Amino acid sequence: MVRKAKELTLQEQKRIKDELKDAHDFDPRDPLFGLSKDQLSGPSISRRASLRLLAASGALSAWHLMPGMTRSAIAQNRGGDLVAGWSGVGEIVTLDPAQINQVLQFQISSHILGGLTHLNADLVAEGDMAESWTVDDSGTEIVFKLREGVTFHNGDAFTAEDVVFTFLRSKDPDQSINGGLLANVASAEALNDLEVKFNLLAPQASFFVKTTERASGRALTIVSRGALESMGASQYGLTPVGTGPFRVTEHVLGQGVKLEAFADYWDPSRPGVDSINIIPIPETEPLGAAMEAGDIHIIGGNPVPAELVDRFAANDELVVDVIGGNGFQSLFINPWRDPFKVPDFNKPLAELMEEPGFQVRLALAKAIDRERLIELALFGRGVAAYGTINPAMGFFFEDDLGENSNQRFDPDEARRLLASAGFPNGDGFPTLTLKAGTPQRREAQIIADLLKTVLNIEIDIEIKEFQVLVPEFQAVDYDLLRIGSGGDFDPDDGIVDFMQTGSRLNGASRDKDAMPFGHFGEAVVDGEGTEQSSTVDLDQRRALVRKVNRITSDKVASGFLYHPVDTLVHSKAINFPAESRIVGLVDMDRVTFN
Amino acid sequence: MSGYLIRRLLGAAVVMFAVATLVFFMLRFLPGDPIQTMLFEMGDADAVERLRSKYGLDQPIYVQYWKWLTRIVVGDFGNSIYGSRISVSQIVLEALPRTMSLAALSFFVALIIAIPAGLISSLYKHTKLDHAVTVIAFLGLSMPDFWFAIVLIIIFAGNLHWLPAIGYAPLADGFWDWFRHLILPAIAIGTPFAAIIARMIRSSMLEVLQMEYMRVARSKGLLTFRLILVHAFPNALIPVVTVIGIALGILLTGTVVVENVFAIKGLGRVLIQSILNRDYPVVQGSIFVISAIFIFANLLVDILYTVIDPRIRYD
Repeated sequence: MVRKAKELTLQEQKRIKDELKDAHDFDPRDPLFGLSKDQLSGPSISRRASLRLLAASGALSAWHLMPGMTRSAIAQNRGGDLVAGWSGVGEIVTLDPAQINQVLQFQISSHILGGLTHLNADLVAEGDMAESWTVDDSGTEIVFKLREGVTFHNGDAFTAEDVVFTFLRSKDPDQSINGGLLANVASAEALNDLEVKFNLLAPQASFFVKTTERASGRALTIVSRGALESMGASQYGLTPVGTGPFRVTEHVLGQGVKLEAFADYWDPSRPGVDSINIIPIPETEPLGAAMEAGDIHIIGGNPVPAELVDRFAANDELVVDVIGGNGFQSLFINPWRDPFKVPDFNKPLAELMEEPGFQVRLALAKAIDRERLIELALFGRGVAAYGTINPAMGFFFEDDLGENSNQRFDPDEARRLLASAGFPNGDGFPTLTLKAGTPQRREAQIIADLLKTVLNIEIDIEIKEFQVLVPEFQAVDYDLLRIGSGGDFDPDDGIVDFMQTGSRLNGASRDKDAMPFGHFGEAVVDGEGTEQSSTVDLDQRRALVRKVNRITSDKVASGFLYHPVDTLVHSKAINFPAESRIVGLVDMDRVTFN
Repeated sequence: MSGYLIRRLLGAAVVMFAVATLVFFMLRFLPGDPIQTMLFEMGDADAVERLRSKYGLDQPIYVQYWKWLTRIVVGDFGNSIYGSRISVSQIVLEALPRTMSLAALSFFVALIIAIPAGLISSLYKHTKLDHAVTVIAFLGLSMPDFWFAIVLIIIFAGNLHWLPAIGYAPLADGFWDWFRHLILPAIAIGTPFAAIIARMIRSSMLEVLQMEYMRVARSKGLLTFRLILVHAFPNALIPVVTVIGIALGILLTGTVVVENVFAIKGLGRVLIQSILNRDYPVVQGSIFVISAIFIFANLLVDILYTVIDPRIRYD
């Protein structure tokens, strides 16, 4: 198990603090973020430079620097057939990076397809399909030198044309849903068979660690033109051909994906096993039984169900590794419906506090004991949330927000606010409906119970499929709705995507005449939320982020509930090296049997 | 008989057309948007509209219906609009053998339990043995199949490690592998049906055993074994076959919960998954196939009547 921050030695704490400080110590006006172009060029980027790039993109957190997240020797026992259970999913609908829209899909595709770079667990951006690269003085022209002699699984040679083909395909909205990830890339051109040049619109700190990264990149995850043309996009989505450490031997929708070690993989030290059989397991108990019976060696896919974690942790045959996750989960409160109607959030907070609609919103937010919710619904695995900025964003996260936020748990004050709004002891309060996704049934019931206990109000639970919940969330068609976000490494993922009037997840399909904003609209959040996004001075950005985050918290943009954690479970029969432990991913190419 | 068959087949075509049409329009009234969900984290409003147009979902519903109808006439059920967009035919054809395997084994399990239980119960009516079989039958009937499935997993996979908790192996991989993956779900599915069929055999047998020809046979001194299996049981089968026919239809399509528990992608799970994804072409295609299965299972039962009881004629 990775230790908690408070369990670290003083030396370790000092090292983390120094590394964080150094990573963020650069002139924000410098397009190369205080790094020379030699430091940015590769075959690999140093740990210090990588940390700097991650910091500049807002993706660096203290979790990345925790002991245990370091390179370890690969065990020597190679071979064997690994079986992985993919949690909470009925089928892997696609492995084509152009169509991938779920983490559980690119967790698999990253074993089959390659990117130009690969971020290892030391946070060193290494060349994956690229052998080295150079950056010009402006930071906008990047030339990658590709590895020579690399072949796709079908025997085709990998060349610069494949990179350009991938780029153009990803940019084409008819072929790819991930073109938005390349918004800052103006063009790509093949200089020769082994060199490709990218022209960026502006220097982009995250280019090497996000855009070209083999797992999360997606838009620049290299696809085989020959295979695509011969098998068609549909079949390619099932059995993609790439340059990765494994090739697909079989993919039967709903039954699983079988991978076999690619004998001609460019790195002879990988993969560590002969094959991987990935089986989707939609239900919780069969997943637990399969893990305990040794039918599967490791769990990937959706987060391990909370109710299984303690059971697994008590099992001597299993390893349970919990690290900080990234995201937030919220209770959204419709500001266009009584009794919590607030048509204008621009008023000063003191003025809002006098409005009955706002008083009810705040009463709901203050009545939820987050710690109790986490204990009951998540079996203690989560961090109380009071805003969108999560602990994995280390530098931006505000430790004491929970103590100072208007939303902090205070049952007496919640009851007083409800009484002040005209509902003493919940008398006369209408029965509300709380909409939640199927997996959140238990959580929704606990929220309803907590609110009933404190405020004496009735809440009906309405469980919806995600496919129905999302459109209703976007149409602002709910009293209360439980939804959230995952995979958030940057403050923009919460603030820009959810909290601004124009956010794409702020009632995008609402009736805009009747509702000028969706669940929240506030001028400072709109203005300074946008400003923080383009502010490269990190201290300034942090100040803006924290200010905006606090406003969304104090003015109850939503009732923030918790930040989830990332849990990896595997059998002790296998060796899962620390260098493969990357939040949200399940890298199995270095896994070996003990 | 042939005239009857032609009439039934024509009737089947009309029913299937009606089912297909009904499903097409009902699906469009279901809440939920496949495109918006597909692009939840990625797309803006423009991207949603672009994809909606790409799949023809922006066209008037009658245009969509006409296009779909003209395609299925030539056997083209279209492509999934979710994920890899593979053809509906491929999805259904991949799922069908799994469902048929599971249904066949479940059916076998049901009969293996039901026939002896039903016979014993009828031959020892109102005895302790009959009461015991009746209690067990009601127990089997009242257990939710998903609960029973989980109990089986906990015992045989989790604790004893005898059988796999999840997955499916095709028959081509070998009988034992196929059998050990399917036996737990088959027991979970087959047990409630065994209870129904056993009760039906009991009541039907009690009726037949009171017939005059049975009294005659007994007075002729026939052995009990021959009396039961040759004279009584075949004559008690007509109502049982009706129930078995319905059960077969349900087994071939309605095992979704157990399929989900054991992570077996059969036809039922294809249907549920596609409904959850609002994957319209797959929902339409799989319901079309499921309705065909039901119709032909019933037709098969009707034909079987004539085999069991030669007095039955449809001409």
